[in-house]
Amino acid sequence: MSTTARPKQQPPAETRETAPTKQPLASRLFGASALSFPTWAYVVFFFIIPLALVIFYSFGYKPDEFTAIATDKLSFDRYPEAMSASFVSTFFATLRISILGTILCLLIALPFSYWLAVKVSPARRSLALALVMVPFWTNFLVRTLGWQIMLSPDGFLSNWMQSIGMLDGPLDILYTRTAVQIGVVYNYLPLMILPLFVAIDASGKRLREASYDLGAGKVKTFMRVTLPMAMPGVVSGCLLVFIPLNGDYVTATVLGGASGSMVGQLIANQFNTAQNWAVGAAMAMILIISTLVVVGVGFALLKLGQTITARLNSVPLQDGRA
Amino acid sequence: MTSTATAETTPDTGLDHLEIQGVKKVFGENTAIARLDLSVRRGEFLSLLGPSGCGKTTLLRMIAGFEHPTNGHIYLDGKDIVGLPPHRRPVNTVFQSYLLFPHMNIADNIAYGLKQAKVPKPEIAQRVRDVLALVQMEDFAGRKPEQLSGGQQQRIALARALVNRPQVLLLDEPMSALDRKLREEMQLELKRLHTKLDTTFVFVTHDQDEALAMSDRIVVMYDGVIQQIGSGEDIYANPHNGFVAGFIGKQNFIPAEVTSTDGGTAQMVSANSTVMETPSLDLRPASAAGEAGTLSVGDRVRAAIRPERMRVAPAGEETGRPNTARGKVISTSFLGDVIQYMIVVGDNDELLARVPAAGNELLAADAEVDLSWDADAVAVYGFEGGA
Repeated sequence: MSTTARPKQQPPAETRETAPTKQPLASRLFGASALSFPTWAYVVFFFIIPLALVIFYSFGYKPDEFTAIATDKLSFDRYPEAMSASFVSTFFATLRISILGTILCLLIALPFSYWLAVKVSPARRSLALALVMVPFWTNFLVRTLGWQIMLSPDGFLSNWMQSIGMLDGPLDILYTRTAVQIGVVYNYLPLMILPLFVAIDASGKRLREASYDLGAGKVKTFMRVTLPMAMPGVVSGCLLVFIPLNGDYVTATVLGGASGSMVGQLIANQFNTAQNWAVGAAMAMILIISTLVVVGVGFALLKLGQTITARLNSVPLQDGRA
Repeated sequence: MTSTATAETTPDTGLDHLEIQGVKKVFGENTAIARLDLSVRRGEFLSLLGPSGCGKTTLLRMIAGFEHPTNGHIYLDGKDIVGLPPHRRPVNTVFQSYLLFPHMNIADNIAYGLKQAKVPKPEIAQRVRDVLALVQMEDFAGRKPEQLSGGQQQRIALARALVNRPQVLLLDEPMSALDRKLREEMQLELKRLHTKLDTTFVFVTHDQDEALAMSDRIVVMYDGVIQQIGSGEDIYANPHNGFVAGFIGKQNFIPAEVTSTDGGTAQMVSANSTVMETPSLDLRPASAAGEAGTLSVGDRVRAAIRPERMRVAPAGEETGRPNTARGKVISTSFLGDVIQYMIVVGDNDELLARVPAAGNELLAADAEVDLSWDADAVAVYGFEGGA
């Protein structure tokens, strides 16, 4: 029997019949593969082509006051032009808001998702999930306007805090970076909760029981089993929050005022108000590239952390086999 | 030896290694376990055997600490462990679906419990290596669980539990996901480990062959109640009630009416006029809920005869003697070591007979045959709800 014999087992070599063969173009277009047409058409028309246009426009220029873009002469000149002092300071403020916002979302969503997946009975779980989702389905702008009302100096929150003596004067955070920070955490929180909940839920009660059975208490079980297994959820949650948050301009427009502006607003201004698509496109490219860089650095840190914890936790068997 | 539901305890200590006293478990409106007493001896291989829903897994989960008994006590080495959470109990479980941690390699999976116990690292490494050798999986330390077959994962799950040197090893149907050949191999393996380690094993299964093959004692459970405790041999040869008689091994039950009880010999007649005679007046109950009794004339009972106690011969002269019947073969199965016949007697009594394949010729379907059996092969049980 193969299980009692113990040769160093090689993974079975890929055999000829599993090697992918390239199908003729006709069958790729009209055969079963054609079922993927909607997907790739969507990606091509709504992502690749617009993105290519943005890249292309960022090399163009604004020829005169009444024309938004010209591309007869291409250059990199719009990039230095885009990186004005105000853009750079707003850019770093934006980065701060998005990174802090992502971290805050994670810190709030992690205990909540754990509670939802582990402690709440399945019957009540859908209710709790609905409470998370209903605000999310409400129009983004309306939700943000709700915060504008709530945070305004003569709003009920301000009045109430004054009446119980928590504040001496009216609440003074609307049209500041703090208001934007609160707004984005509120707006993007469900995007963190959902993948985290799914990941923790998938790690499963049974594996937690196995961990308890082996002598680990609740905290140890969370740190060594539940959280490591939920890491894919943490990663996708962070991506889902950070990337759109970095480009958000609605929240900043409604809650940020002059002191709490974000890069998204500057880009929108270039396209809509200044009618300078070339500079707007260059700004957008800077934002996209820097977002990718931050995500890349985040991944690298994650991998490093995982490698270090794996080192710390693993048992060296000292015979070269482990 | 007819109605002891609890096993005898070791006289000197008063309490056995694992002692379950008056344990009851109610889920909402369902009683999973109704007041159960059980003593598990140190170092024994005890199987909890029963159909699904009989409460055997619930009992195991209460020993592990995943379920809390509604009433009762569980003593391990004389100490009540009911109040202890699972991670404080000196017991480990091998789960049905293995439940290896998918994000750790095999060595880390096995080391997990030792790390929780704060065992020094060099000792952890040594013990992990030893246990991998014990289950013959030394070369797999660096693999991830997903790279292992079901049988290999099973061995690792076993190693992960055993490496902690638990007082009691709990096994929750650990082989039900394996194919037959592998299962038989693992049974031998488990038996070998048990002999070698001298740990108390409590093994839950619904597979009687598995329980018979491995256990020192078997606890047959049904409906949250212990039906019988005994060695496999004892339970097979001497079932205390109709449930055990039907659940363990194959059994022919023939409804009959008692016609005479003269001289300590009971005679019964089935609806097809088959006459059965047995040298005992014992009437065993349908299940553990009933009481044993004595046969009297007019009782409606079930006579039970094991298929392998049946003798099958080509039809000869009709004798009409007790413990014989004339029937017709309706199906034949050649099982290798035995031949199994389904034989219909009269209009509707279907009887199973198993005869050794060696030295017996295979009878064709539709053949007329004479069945006969010894008087001591007949046991008598009451009907469910009656007796």
